[in-house]
Amino acid sequence: MTMQTDSAIFEPKIIGFLCNWCSYAGADKAGGMQVPFPHNVQVIRVMCSGRVDPQFILSALVKGADAVIILACHPGDCHYKEGNCRALQRHSMLTLVLGQLGVEKERCRLDYVSAGEGEKFSRIVTEMVESVRKLGPFRRDLP
Amino acid sequence: MKIGIYFCNCGCNIADKISAEAVGKAAISFPDKPYLEIVDFICSEDGKLQFEESLKLEQPDRVVVAACSPRDHEATFRRCMTNVGMNPYLLQMVNIREQIAWVTEDPKVATEKAIAAILGAVCRVREQQPLEKKLLEVCPDALVIGAGPAGMKAALALAEAGRSVVVVERTPFIGGLPVRFEDLFPSLECAPCMLEPLMGEMLHGDFPGTIELMTLSEVVAVTGFYGNFNVKIRQKPRHVSLHECIGCGECVEACPAVTTNEFNSNASDCKAIDFAFTGVLPNAPYLKEEICIRSRGEECRACKDACPMGEDVVDLDEVEKIVERRIGSIILATGARLYDASSVEGLGMGVLPNVFDALQFERMLSSTGPTGGEVATSEGIAPAAIAIIHCVGSLDDAHKPYCSGICCQYAFKFNHLITAKLPATAITHYHRELVVPGKAAHTLLNHAVKNENTTMKRFNSVTDLAVIQDATGRLQVSVKGESAPADMVILCPAMIPAEGSASLAALLDVSLDASGFYLELHGRIDAAQSTVKGVYLAGSCQEPMDIQRAMLEGMASVGHSLAGLQPGRMIEIEPITAGVDETHCAGCHLCITVCPYHAIAFNPELNVSRINAVLCHGCGTCVAACPAGAITGHHFTNAQIMAEMEGVLK
Repeated sequence: MTMQTDSAIFEPKIIGFLCNWCSYAGADKAGGMQVPFPHNVQVIRVMCSGRVDPQFILSALVKGADAVIILACHPGDCHYKEGNCRALQRHSMLTLVLGQLGVEKERCRLDYVSAGEGEKFSRIVTEMVESVRKLGPFRRDLP
Repeated sequence: MKIGIYFCNCGCNIADKISAEAVGKAAISFPDKPYLEIVDFICSEDGKLQFEESLKLEQPDRVVVAACSPRDHEATFRRCMTNVGMNPYLLQMVNIREQIAWVTEDPKVATEKAIAAILGAVCRVREQQPLEKKLLEVCPDALVIGAGPAGMKAALALAEAGRSVVVVERTPFIGGLPVRFEDLFPSLECAPCMLEPLMGEMLHGDFPGTIELMTLSEVVAVTGFYGNFNVKIRQKPRHVSLHECIGCGECVEACPAVTTNEFNSNASDCKAIDFAFTGVLPNAPYLKEEICIRSRGEECRACKDACPMGEDVVDLDEVEKIVERRIGSIILATGARLYDASSVEGLGMGVLPNVFDALQFERMLSSTGPTGGEVATSEGIAPAAIAIIHCVGSLDDAHKPYCSGICCQYAFKFNHLITAKLPATAITHYHRELVVPGKAAHTLLNHAVKNENTTMKRFNSVTDLAVIQDATGRLQVSVKGESAPADMVILCPAMIPAEGSASLAALLDVSLDASGFYLELHGRIDAAQSTVKGVYLAGSCQEPMDIQRAMLEGMASVGHSLAGLQPGRMIEIEPITAGVDETHCAGCHLCITVCPYHAIAFNPELNVSRINAVLCHGCGTCVAACPAGAITGHHFTNAQIMAEMEGVLK
């Protein structure tokens, strides 16, 4: 987990798990409002953030992602009542384990975006890309 | 496997940023070498035609549409695929418009990102499987629990629509709380005049459907699910045949056993066999077994012998019955009751004479009540001063945090009715807030505040109030020590869920909110649906409300029942649900605890969980939770999500 040393700007690859009802709609809203955001996040749509299995996140990191972001409905707004709470529980547990393995918590972020929050979506993605840029590429060669 | 990629230019919306040509070149190296077809506006009539014609010609095994958001047009393209005989679940969309073209400034970067996303979709669609909607036969009939305004309105509308309705009512009569009132806010409409026609229709109406009314009954077991519920109902013996009784009251005259009448707030006496109150419907008495002297082993058949209609009307040996009914949907209309005002200390409820709660006072105002409608103290004297205390336990964190919404309105109704009966009586309203919403409620408020005998006093907290009896025996109401005399005090307590709401919720698996009211599926867009599919909410069992809203909610719940379940029409079950591979299920119950819809049941014989596809909403929370990996989220399988992820990361 060393800082990148070369002068070229590091463009991290980030996987974004977005729930169909709120955050994916929020990303669509950013599009509708034509609010630009960095290209680095590739979106995987799931019906609910509660579907995001921690193994997807580990697998993303192993298969080439530098970071993963899960965007859920705001607490209390989950289309499936409480799937976002399950996502939060799993995220808390996973970041604890990742931390013990030396993986920075910035590489696995959970946040909340409503269907109306196009600007917030754009802001979170921008922040995420910047924070991962600072960390540099995710190294998969550590023991 | 033959895969077709359909690339929509969306005019210049996509084409300006993403080069179809570059996508075409890249696609050559994608798995299975998909073909690429460019369409200008694939959602247009011409575009859909081109899409369908191409599908017919190419006969692909899987289809990727790179266009707008699937939230816009996934259903459109699925329909096109169905039109040409393809399974619609073999489609994967790539959102290259909203999430790439419109938000990425550099066309080169946008094209690269689109290529990666399309590759992800190609990898995913290879893993997708054809899915079929299942059809299920359903029962269109309904159960209504509670025969108050909301329940009656619902039952009548369902019967009018031709449904068979079972109405289960706990008390011996129908009409709910307001049937005990004389006049109603906001316009002092006569309650019996308004409600009796409805109640008459409930009992004797002629409809395409049927209403089966069960009084003195409660639901004791519910099995099954939406469209196919089986309910068990316990019917307590009434000992009087509703079909044969003419309501003459001869049996009441003859009955030797006396008790107090709970439906008159115990302010008057009644017999062991008696009407709940005068004018009650169904117009038949009922026998309170615990009061009847036969319960003490004595021989008595005075009521039976007095009946002019013959031997069969009064059945002293009638016993409790359990009946079963099959229905498709359930409407909960169990209503509300008053919070026990004696639990708000210092106001004298239950301790001091002439302190009444609102329901007791409603009965006092009623011509069928204990005083025949006369406003009088327990000494039988017309009160010279009356205090009406609002917000007793409402808007109060020590009791109920919410505003009960209707108390101000009935308090000003009381003001009007007292003034009409006793024009010289001074009335003081002690209130914390004043809530009189809507287009009609201000009339009673204005009448009260313009009345020269009315005083309004505001308090901050109910703990600032005290009701005491002075040395002369007269009541004194004080706010922070400043006191005023009163001969009668009327308390307006919070509205709380009816007795038995919580046990009924447990029986149905319906969630309750923090105050014990039934929780809505969604407070704004689905306020008439409970958290269990096919169980609807109507009236004040959901939150305190007036008769107008209760009736509207009754109709709203009927809307759900009628729209979802129609005679002869099977319901379609979405295939995007979860399924358990029973050979891998370890029976750990984790899925059952995380399912927000109670869609998963445990089979103890096989030691496995089973998902009911009718109840499953396809969120996938159980899929992620299963430690054995035994649950598949159809259309969002691990293999599909992993393949997409690997594709976009290539």
